[in-house]
Amino acid sequence: MRRVPLPLLLAPLAFLPALLSRAGLFGDDVWFNAGLAVCYAAAGLSLNMLMGYAGQISLGQFTLLGVGAFMSGWLTGADRLALPFMAAVPAAAAAGAAVALVIGVPALRLRGLYLAVVTIAFTYAAQLSVFKIDAISRGSAGVELPRPQIDDFIMTRNADYLVVLLLLLAMLWLFDRAVTGSKIGRAFQAVRADEAVAASFGVDVGRYKLLAFVLSGAFAGVAGAMYGHLIQFANSESFPFDRSLLLVVIVVIGGLGSRVGVLISAAFYALWPVYIVKAFGDGFRGTDLIVGAALLMFTVARHPGGLAEAWGEGAERRRARHVEVEDANGEGDTEPPMPKLPELPRPSGLPERPAATSGDWVLRATGVSVSFGGLQALRDASIEVRANRIVGLIGPNGAGKTTLFNAVSGLLRPDSGRVELLGEDITALPAHARARKGLGRTFQLIGLARDLSVTENLLLAQHVVAGYSVGSALTRVGSANSVERELRSRAAEAIAALGFEQYAHAPVKRLSHGQQRIVELGCALVTAPEVVLLDEPSAGMSPGAAENLAVRLRDIRDELRRTVLLIEHNIPLVLDVCDELYVLAGGELLARGEPLEVVRRPEVIEAYLGRGLEHEAATA
Amino acid sequence: MNDIGQVLVLGLVSGGIYGLFALGIVLVYRGTGALNFAQGEIGTFGLYAAWYVDTRLGLPWIAGAVAAIGVAILLGLAFEAAIVRSMVEASRVTVAVATVGLLLFLLAVETRYFGGASPRPIEHPIKASGVELFGIVVSPTQILALVLAAAVGVGFTVLLRRTDFGLGVLAAAQDPVAVRLVGVRLRRVSAFVWGAGAAVSALGALFIAPTVGFVTPGYATVLFLSGLAAAVVGGLNSLPGAFAGGIVIGLVEATTGRVFVDSSLPDVRFLAVFLVILAVLLLRPQGLLRAIGTGAGAKA
Repeated sequence: MRRVPLPLLLAPLAFLPALLSRAGLFGDDVWFNAGLAVCYAAAGLSLNMLMGYAGQISLGQFTLLGVGAFMSGWLTGADRLALPFMAAVPAAAAAGAAVALVIGVPALRLRGLYLAVVTIAFTYAAQLSVFKIDAISRGSAGVELPRPQIDDFIMTRNADYLVVLLLLLAMLWLFDRAVTGSKIGRAFQAVRADEAVAASFGVDVGRYKLLAFVLSGAFAGVAGAMYGHLIQFANSESFPFDRSLLLVVIVVIGGLGSRVGVLISAAFYALWPVYIVKAFGDGFRGTDLIVGAALLMFTVARHPGGLAEAWGEGAERRRARHVEVEDANGEGDTEPPMPKLPELPRPSGLPERPAATSGDWVLRATGVSVSFGGLQALRDASIEVRANRIVGLIGPNGAGKTTLFNAVSGLLRPDSGRVELLGEDITALPAHARARKGLGRTFQLIGLARDLSVTENLLLAQHVVAGYSVGSALTRVGSANSVERELRSRAAEAIAALGFEQYAHAPVKRLSHGQQRIVELGCALVTAPEVVLLDEPSAGMSPGAAENLAVRLRDIRDELRRTVLLIEHNIPLVLDVCDELYVLAGGELLARGEPLEVVRRPEVIEAYLGRGLEHEAATA
Repeated sequence: MNDIGQVLVLGLVSGGIYGLFALGIVLVYRGTGALNFAQGEIGTFGLYAAWYVDTRLGLPWIAGAVAAIGVAILLGLAFEAAIVRSMVEASRVTVAVATVGLLLFLLAVETRYFGGASPRPIEHPIKASGVELFGIVVSPTQILALVLAAAVGVGFTVLLRRTDFGLGVLAAAQDPVAVRLVGVRLRRVSAFVWGAGAAVSALGALFIAPTVGFVTPGYATVLFLSGLAAAVVGGLNSLPGAFAGGIVIGLVEATTGRVFVDSSLPDVRFLAVFLVILAVLLLRPQGLLRAIGTGAGAKA
């Protein structure tokens, strides 16, 4: 990362247009078009925050620009409050954020496309009703938005106003960078990748989705003020629905999550209509939307992440080739020993937890029942895990083991039952809060944010200890920078302990399955949770690798002094490492006890192999 | 009393249309887990075809209707074949973004080629005089629309719940890969869902257009929006809920239109629809009316 951010470095260039214009270069309308491109770029950044980072859809982004513009108009109008432009900009941002908050709260507690539904309804309500209110827009007569003014100097020249626009864009860019370099950006990307994984890392998914929308609303408000004062006018027709759709095109084609891609795409879509019509005549009016929309459909079908992602993937494939070559050499029986898992001290940001003495239980689930429609997945299941032990949970497929994990970790609300961690009843706590209380977990299908790098995943895994506020993240005042440094050094330590330095910046999806498992374990342990739930950690591993895993599991218990609850199908591994075994079958607890003894019980063998084979299996 | 009667009549009449759109929305939702944001506009496009056939070619209304529904179905099938089929593994959000592309595409084409500002006139299918209720003349077209909406609702419900094909539709939304393994012809199911959704939109647009009198770009998307609200009110995964939701939204719009008729707040019904959606999502996201069946509803 650069010491001096790019936008700051380029900021002085913002003054160029004023100089060039006075030197007679380009007509005023050219500068106007450039200003338009800058406004669209700002609008694109706002939607990118929501769609590119957090993966949610808004069909009303241009309407939010309208909110910002009308707010600014109300404050700066000569016959209204006549405040200076620079006072109006923060107000426009606040208005955009406030409206986003109101719209977002009902929609974002729910998964899926509800935000798209709400924003399209919002757009129509605004465009056809609210924006037509006299007090706001004076109908089609519209309100005047004057150019900024310093004493007697009014920026009527488009080139002069362009300076202001460029500076504002640079400011938005800086805020955007602050977001992506902080826990907020990582949380957004985790939410976009996989909400369950994000929650297991302690991210409050609903809250972060709302934050993404509110931030995008604030950006949109600023963009709206920028745009409104460029055209110096806003009426009820100034913010049509198709512009919101065009913004979606811009962001998707530019590349979801790529700032530069969005800037280029926005500039293109702002300028093309003007210059195409100039070059080829009126017959081409409107073609930008047609082509853009067609491009959008085909891009999304092939590359859901937009053209920037397609580009990035190509580059990555070339860069990552050497990583894959390493994997090819590392597979098979000559698998290198699994690295020692990092012993990291308890991070300072966590709340105090009661110390667990050996022999006490640390995790307890009592009478948990879960049904899905007509299917009883778990019936009255109880489990008690004592400190400093490795407890195994086995059972045939469909027995309810992962369901029990989901109930314990908070991804599922059981129909009845209680879950307690370290003496505290956590039954009512959502998944991300349980992560804060000291519960770590891995997933059957590798719970990592696949598009993020190993380092970013390790940073994400420390979300619960990233103890700085949103405000601090945005402005970099306060603890954000120091906490980020701490997180990064822990992540680097973990990577070094795992011997993964060369993969530090490789996206996780490029690693082999076994390597991903290792990273996942590292992530589960990086915030030193008291209890770790591991869902089939040996899945997909060769016998040699599984033996290494056994060594590491014992390390977690003996050296790191943690507690492990393990779902497994690999019985030899289970017999090797577990201190105690629970057997689940058909949603019910079948057996509990000392591993070697439990696996010889006829009812356990019957559950796995069916009736009639107990004798053979018992003597095996 | 007369006022209430008028509101009821207006609400029922427009509610039937909204219910029709809502049925199409719920069908696509239950069949794919996604929402087709272009579904309304496909109806508008069909209307332009009807206008062309009726006015330019001078053929009877029924020919225009066939053209409208036919064009809409073709559009739906084309979109499914060209875009959706290559997105089998994609998330609902991604599919929805693709439909946003289609929406913009249709709006842009209509504006460019059918001239934004000059609306095209649409005629009544049945030229008979209507019935007068509470001082409002209800045309035979509107009555027919209501009957059609109910019929479509019943038809879809029976299809999804009682036929094997319908079961395949529901299953495909849950796991498109797995259903192929059990012999469901995913292509047929997918084509049906996208085609039927489009057809229903064209139907809805056809039956409300004569009342309004003309068609412009974006015309049916406004109706689609009310249909969307209706579907949310009824619970996105419930067909009977969709129809009932349509009536509810129709009544809400009629009521706000009557109550706010003199106010300085123009076209309040859009604001009302928006607020209804917000309220339902906030207070009872599963829909005001009990969801029947589970479908893909648990995770929107």
